[in-house]
Amino acid sequence: MKAWLVFAVVALVLWGITGVTQKLSTNRISSARSFLWFCWAMVALSAVVFVFVHPQWMLARVVVISAVAGGTLNALGAWTSFRALESGGKASIVISLISLYPLLTVLLAVLILHERLTWMQMAGAGIAIVAAILLSLEPAPASVSGGVNGAV
Amino acid sequence: MPRWLVWSLATILLWGTWGLVSKIASDGVDAYTNQLLYTAGLVPLLVFVAWTVSKERTEGLTPAKKRSGILWAFFTGILGGVGNLAFFQALVTGGKASIVAPVTALFPMVTVVLAVIFLRERVGRTQWLGLLLAFVAIYLLSV
Repeated sequence: MKAWLVFAVVALVLWGITGVTQKLSTNRISSARSFLWFCWAMVALSAVVFVFVHPQWMLARVVVISAVAGGTLNALGAWTSFRALESGGKASIVISLISLYPLLTVLLAVLILHERLTWMQMAGAGIAIVAAILLSLEPAPASVSGGVNGAV
Repeated sequence: MPRWLVWSLATILLWGTWGLVSKIASDGVDAYTNQLLYTAGLVPLLVFVAWTVSKERTEGLTPAKKRSGILWAFFTGILGGVGNLAFFQALVTGGKASIVAPVTALFPMVTVVLAVIFLRERVGRTQWLGLLLAFVAIYLLSV
C-alpha cells in the first residue's frame, strides 16, 4: 500500500471519529461553543508539536501564505457550514451539497497544479463524491460532521 | 437565493480551496510545521467565535453538561488536528490533491459505522450503498 494512501486513510478514520465526538459535544453545548473548544484543542496540539518537533523556519513565502490560508479556509468553512444548518437549511440537503467540496479541489488541482488523473482515478473521484452524498443522507444524522475537514 | 444555500456554497468554496492550498504548502513544508501555520490561520476566527460565545445565553446549561460538552469538543479538536497531520503527510508523501481530497472526504463512512455501534443509530439503504461505493472509490483512486 502506498504511503500517501495509508496517511489519507488515517485522516479519514480520525475525521470520521470526530463526526461522533462532535455530535456528543453539540448534544450538550452550542455548536459555537463546541467549535471554540475544537479550536483551542488545535492550539494545544500545535503547542505540543512546537515543543517536541523542530519546526522548519526557512520557508518560501508562497508556502507560508498557503499553509496559514489553509487554517483560515478550513475553519471558516466549518463556521459557514454551521451557518447553513442554522439558517433553515435541511441538514440532509446542506450536508449532501457540502459533500461536493472535493469536486472543487479536483478541478483546481487539475487547472492550477496541472495534476493528471487516469480514467480509473477520475471514476473513483466521481464515485467518492456520490458515496459521500449518499452517506450524508438520513436516517443517520451523525454524519453531520463537517468534520474536520474537519472542523466539526 | 436562500441564505442556507449561500452558506453551503461558501463552504464548498472554502473547503475546496483548502485542498488546493494544502497541496501547495505541502510541496515546501513538513506536516508538523504545516499544522503550526494552519493553527495560526484559524486564530482570528477563534477570537471572533470566543467573542460570540461570551455573549451566549447559558440558562439551562448545567455545569456538568457544559463540562462534558467541552471535553468532547476538545477531544474532537485533538482528533481533527492529528487527522490534519495525516492529511498533510499524505500530500507530502506524494499524494495528489485531486486524489487525497476525495479519499479523505469519505470520512462519513467511519462516522456512520461508529454511529451505528455507539449511538445506536439506524442506517438506511442509501447509506449502505454509500458505504459500498466508498470502498469502490478508495480502490479506484488507489490503483
